[in-house]
Amino acid sequence: MGEVVSVEKFKALSPSEFFYRNKEIAGFSNPARALYQTVRELVENALDATDTHYILPDVKVVIRSEGVGGSTGVVADESESYEGVLYSVQVEDNGIGLPPQHVPRAFGQLLYSSKYVLRQSRGMFGLGAKMAILYGQITTGRPAEVITSQILSKKIYYFKVSIDIASNSPIIHEYSILAKNSDWHGTTVRVYLIGDWQRSKQKIHDYVRRTAIIAPYANIYFEDPEGNILMFKRSTEEMPVPPREVKPHPYGVDVELLKRMLSDTTAETLKDFLVNEFQNVGELTALKIIEGAGLKPDLKPSELKLNEINELIKSIKATKIKAPSGRHLSFLGEKLIELGLRETLKPEFAAATTRSASVYGGHAFVVEAGIAYGGKILQSDKPILLRYANKIPLLYDESADVIYDIVDPKKFDWSRYGVPSQSPLAVLVHVCSTKVPYKGVGKEAIADVPEVEREVRIAVREVARKLKAYLSRKAKEFEEVERAVTIAKYIPDVSHSLFKLSDGGVKREVLEEKLLQLLNRRLSMFKIKSLKDVVIEVS
Amino acid sequence: MSHDAPLTPKDVEARSRAMEVLRSKFIALVDDVMAGRVPTLVIRKRTLTNTLYDDVNGLLRLGEGTLKRSFLNVNEAKKFMQTLLMAGIIYEALKNNEYPTIRDLYYRGKHTIKYRDLVSRKTGEENSWEEQKESDSVIRDLEVFIDMLREDMLILSKEKGKIVGNMRIKSGGDVIDLSKMGHGAYSIEPTPDLIEFLDYDAEYVLVIEKDAVFQQLHRIGYWKTNRVLLVTSAGQPDRATRRFVRRLNEELGLPVYILSDCDPYGWYIYSVFKVGSITLSYESERLATPKARFLGVMMSDIYGSPKLNKKPYLTESERSNYIIKASERDRDRADELENYKWFQTPRWKVEIEIFREKRSKLEIEALTSKGLKFLADTYLPSKIEVGDWIA
Repeated sequence: MGEVVSVEKFKALSPSEFFYRNKEIAGFSNPARALYQTVRELVENALDATDTHYILPDVKVVIRSEGVGGSTGVVADESESYEGVLYSVQVEDNGIGLPPQHVPRAFGQLLYSSKYVLRQSRGMFGLGAKMAILYGQITTGRPAEVITSQILSKKIYYFKVSIDIASNSPIIHEYSILAKNSDWHGTTVRVYLIGDWQRSKQKIHDYVRRTAIIAPYANIYFEDPEGNILMFKRSTEEMPVPPREVKPHPYGVDVELLKRMLSDTTAETLKDFLVNEFQNVGELTALKIIEGAGLKPDLKPSELKLNEINELIKSIKATKIKAPSGRHLSFLGEKLIELGLRETLKPEFAAATTRSASVYGGHAFVVEAGIAYGGKILQSDKPILLRYANKIPLLYDESADVIYDIVDPKKFDWSRYGVPSQSPLAVLVHVCSTKVPYKGVGKEAIADVPEVEREVRIAVREVARKLKAYLSRKAKEFEEVERAVTIAKYIPDVSHSLFKLSDGGVKREVLEEKLLQLLNRRLSMFKIKSLKDVVIEVS
Repeated sequence: MSHDAPLTPKDVEARSRAMEVLRSKFIALVDDVMAGRVPTLVIRKRTLTNTLYDDVNGLLRLGEGTLKRSFLNVNEAKKFMQTLLMAGIIYEALKNNEYPTIRDLYYRGKHTIKYRDLVSRKTGEENSWEEQKESDSVIRDLEVFIDMLREDMLILSKEKGKIVGNMRIKSGGDVIDLSKMGHGAYSIEPTPDLIEFLDYDAEYVLVIEKDAVFQQLHRIGYWKTNRVLLVTSAGQPDRATRRFVRRLNEELGLPVYILSDCDPYGWYIYSVFKVGSITLSYESERLATPKARFLGVMMSDIYGSPKLNKKPYLTESERSNYIIKASERDRDRADELENYKWFQTPRWKVEIEIFREKRSKLEIEALTSKGLKFLADTYLPSKIEVGDWIA
């Protein structure tokens, strides 16, 4: 919620205007990045509308080239001109759908949100889709199209909506209601924008593939402007437990957030405010905090002065409060990560681990790691790194990420785990938290917070150990097979010789069978079914 | 190799004995396999550390150390297979009244095994053995395992040794008079145990390392005038020659004198006749002649020895003509000989000391150069007469 602070500093600008002028903050710095970011924002919304509500996601993404376009539109800034190819990005989900009355503001007004509860979600600013719409309308002048229907609704709603940048309010260009005669529900959003497919192609493909890895319970259909189709079929109906809303932990608030909470609360007294609005704060703790700040428990929250708020923050930090729990966090779990890796990368081995919740600052977080080896994974001198935060693939700024340093063969001794320097290896790390500690504004890399770094390191070691166990078991098995073959190939000669030396007293076939039995009895991991599998011919 | 000629009784007897030994040894393995026990060959080790000098009998023999060659031991499986393969082939040859050579056995056993590597799924090829060296080594293992020499299994090898003298023997049903060989000599057959001694007129056996010297002595009738059975090994003695000499000594009680070059190599040839070969000590019990005497050529024959109160057979000018400078390798070889117990006698110490001091050696041929008459009429008879030999 700290991001809100920066908005507050630009009081003269509407939020829409602010983001319009600072597009790069949200990842819309150039046409290639914008196309990637648009896909990403819409897909993440689609997944949030489904799995968060226990609906098995069916997500369809279509990017089409719509010919050469330019800035012609409603809100065009005369000083900027966007040249390039016009694309449409359409993302369809089978989610819960949106109540029609919320649609204009949900898509046409930035920072449309009023709750101060925390919930782990994919969306970055809570405004991702709106940024995409804003960018689209700036570069093409075209409004976004939204079709939505809620689960029990008998109607389908259609909107054409854009944002009035100056006043940060929605403009509805078209609105219609259709009767629904199926049980379809969900939302389809189509955005037009000037993009650069050639330059974003690789990243978008990666993004879709990596999303499929972490959501093996989703059907994902993706069609790109060249007509290539990526289809990921769901491989399980098991879904992660959705995240639950949770009140902020006192350790996690700053002055600005506290200020907002104080002014918005319905609590009558400072004590009730602390008890009602925060997690892990009971009466006793609340009184301790208030006493530490030198304040009175029955102060009216909205009347606190800035210096009193500062004192309150100081006192919070100084008071011992039970750490936030991670129960509200939604992680994938070992089974799903392993499945995702198996289905998508087709490795010969995959394993995963989910750490129990830890805390940094006032925020709970859970680290998960997965590892995949061999099979269709290509050999490389570095493991393929799959980074995720709150189920979102992180594709940019890889080397700036704390995870990168941990997995990097220069710093992580993979050979200790039996992994040769050239290996078909992929490592997945998923950090989930109500507040992921990103590095910088791009939100593509996780910062080196010691608590997080430690957990990531432990998780990676855990999965590396699982791989090691697998590799050594495999090596042992190979060794045994080789030993067995070495011996088995001599069975015919030995049997034939014994047959001769016994003057034909015991049949050669019987001796062969007996010797094979003896050999098999010595093998623990593997058996030779028939001598014919090993010996082709003895001339 | 199979023939229609009737086998001599000695041959038939040797054959059935060898077959019986092979069968009984290997039937035990068949029983193991049928009873679900891992077939294992227990063989006395042919290593140097397991080679002992038997003081009492004066020969080399294998110690008690054994190796277990289990078929299910990945490092031993191939050797195990090869040993059985060889046993089977030899058994069959015995059964078919054949006389294979070790080269025949190599070819009979050599074949290709085509197999599939179950890890890589690739097919591989492997020969039962590659070079004859391998199959020869297997034959030696087999000899140790069944405690029987290959000659007893009627396996042939090249003939090398020769004999002439006043003696009649019976071989392959024929009576052969060793005094009627013309300028030639009787080639000692590879199966000397099939030879029957009929009668002889000789006082001792003289074994000469060099074939050329043997021929010269033969042509001047040395064996007639001295009543000697004259034998040559033509270099390193083969097993048949050693076995034959042993029989002459053991069965007829004839003293055996060895005449070799005067250098550590020549002395080692004597040593092989006497105690056996260090690397193949298992043969010695059948092949060594512990009572063989070293007649010469001695260092003290060349230089004389004040210690022995012995005068040299050569004058100073002859010496300077005939002696050859000893090489580094000769000296190393002398070091080795000094380590062997049977060379650690006072008499041998004198010889080796002179060798070290003079750093020279001499071939038997040098003595014939001084004059064949000298060798035949002076050197040999007088040395035997005065007992100038080393026991």
